[in-house]
Amino acid sequence: MANFDVIVSSLASGFLLGGILALIALGLSVALGVMRLVNLAHGELLVCGAYLSSFLMAAVGLDPLAGLLVVGMAAALLALPLQRLLIAPLVSKGMEPPMMTMFGLSIIAQNLLLLGFSADTRTLEAPYSSRPVSIGPITVPEVYLIGFVISVVIVAAVHFLVAHTAFGRALRASSADPAAAAVMGVDVRKVHALTFALGAACAAMGGVLIGTAFSFTPSTGGSYLLISFAIVVLGGVGNIFGTLLAGIAMGLLQSIGAVVLGDGYRDLVGLVLFLLVLALRPEGIAKLGKA
Amino acid sequence: MNLSNIEMQAPDASLLKSLPRDAARWAVPGLLLALAIATPSLSDYALEIGIRLLILVTLAEAWNLLAGYGGLVSLGTASFVGVGAYVLTGAVNQMGLPIWLAIPAGGLVAALLALLVAKAVFRLRGLYFTVGTLALAEALRLFMVNFKGFGGATGLFLSVDPPGLKQLFWIALGLFVLTTLVMAAATGSRFSILLRAVRDDEDAAAQIGVRPFRIKLIVFMLASFLMGLAGATQGLKLGAIEPYGMFGIQWTVSVLSVVIIGGQGLRAGPVIGAVFVVALSEILADYPALHLAMTGLILILVIRFAPRGLVGLLLSRKPLIGVKP
Repeated sequence: MANFDVIVSSLASGFLLGGILALIALGLSVALGVMRLVNLAHGELLVCGAYLSSFLMAAVGLDPLAGLLVVGMAAALLALPLQRLLIAPLVSKGMEPPMMTMFGLSIIAQNLLLLGFSADTRTLEAPYSSRPVSIGPITVPEVYLIGFVISVVIVAAVHFLVAHTAFGRALRASSADPAAAAVMGVDVRKVHALTFALGAACAAMGGVLIGTAFSFTPSTGGSYLLISFAIVVLGGVGNIFGTLLAGIAMGLLQSIGAVVLGDGYRDLVGLVLFLLVLALRPEGIAKLGKA
Repeated sequence: MNLSNIEMQAPDASLLKSLPRDAARWAVPGLLLALAIATPSLSDYALEIGIRLLILVTLAEAWNLLAGYGGLVSLGTASFVGVGAYVLTGAVNQMGLPIWLAIPAGGLVAALLALLVAKAVFRLRGLYFTVGTLALAEALRLFMVNFKGFGGATGLFLSVDPPGLKQLFWIALGLFVLTTLVMAAATGSRFSILLRAVRDDEDAAAQIGVRPFRIKLIVFMLASFLMGLAGATQGLKLGAIEPYGMFGIQWTVSVLSVVIIGGQGLRAGPVIGAVFVVALSEILADYPALHLAMTGLILILVIRFAPRGLVGLLLSRKPLIGVKP
């Protein structure tokens, strides 16, 4: 029954990885839902998080998970001036110019990382990154389990932030109707800046987890961007719980694809699924279509 | 772009009447004639640059038709370039088609691909087309890398000798002429009015009897056909193709930057933009990463400070230069 064990284990891995994917997708989802920003640099924010963690590890020996919040904070602080400089001036120009600006930023970031760190594949080596955990027939790398728990905790924290705090109220108001929110005294500009920072922090922390579990290069970001989009579409924009479920579903489907077709098809399964969802069941995001 | 339509109306209207139209009418045939006379004496380097320029202009014209005139911002250029190149190679190697048939075959299959994915990418309006086309390009690249049927990651060799540079230049020139004719027909006819109506307000257009889906599908297939032809020509030029290069994001990046830097939705935008982008890539030829980073920076600056690109900058200064009364 070794075969059965392998299948069950890879499904469990997919489930756990799905949690990490949900965290990454959440960052994209808040930017899209609140700022109407199609953040095409989301993948690069993720990769920057992984490189920052790698740098902290080499410089001061900081463990990736111990430094997770540091990386998240750093990404948020870095994102604030980016938003002020690049996105805020374009806010009245519709959705395309900010999206293209982020596309430009993603090209810049990718190539600066390439110049700074070369195209070599890196991983964040930690004792738990290759250590297996076994429960019955299921064997998964320990880091998957840790990553899943951390991701779910962060997703729940973001949910609390959005649903139960004053900032969350301002955020929801800005998302529903920016003009009305501004009239009622909400500082929409500030909400947008903080939302972008929140999205960047989610991406960077997701990047640390991805870097610990897998490997990364300067050009890794693109496929995570698209997988995140697929998850956002599946789960519905602005629906945090839906994003978590869709992330897990995506992780499971990717694992099934990898088992059935081979490991190279992992990302392909996610992308084809995305196109199928767009073709067959786009209702979850229909309200954004006219923006 | 949707928001800038209002500003775009005024210069466009005067543009139709005055100088640029006459200039464009004579400039293109004049340029072609000059090129035709000059070709036999051009150096290999000039031919090489010329071919690259012509292929890039074709792609940019097609992209401009989609994005500038149709409001369909695509990040899937690479899919159609790659399909064109692979179909050309397959048609020559497997079916023994002559080159003059294999190139159109590349265009046709690219248009069929557009038809196939249209349901998915048009289901939702606006920017989901953008993300959908990006997903399509990435999915195709991953498929071609992993699937062994079409040479996998190592790619394919063209079984016949690729034509010489001069012949390739003539093919690229023919491609450019065809593109110019298609663009003239698509932007100077009733179709262009329907297209702009759909771009500016799909609901209003539908209410007065335009069928948005059909209009968008036609323009998407037309643009994909041109992109497929360009991809086939590129594949012929290389003689050996592999998925990382033919389905790579750099096609998407360079075509998009050509149009945005040149001027989106403006007739002269792609040509001016292509000259700029090819010049930049020649200057920074030894530093590919720096070149791409610079392209990204220029893209951001142009979007922010010159939303209508270099041509837009020139047009807005037109009164200073002087227009025919």
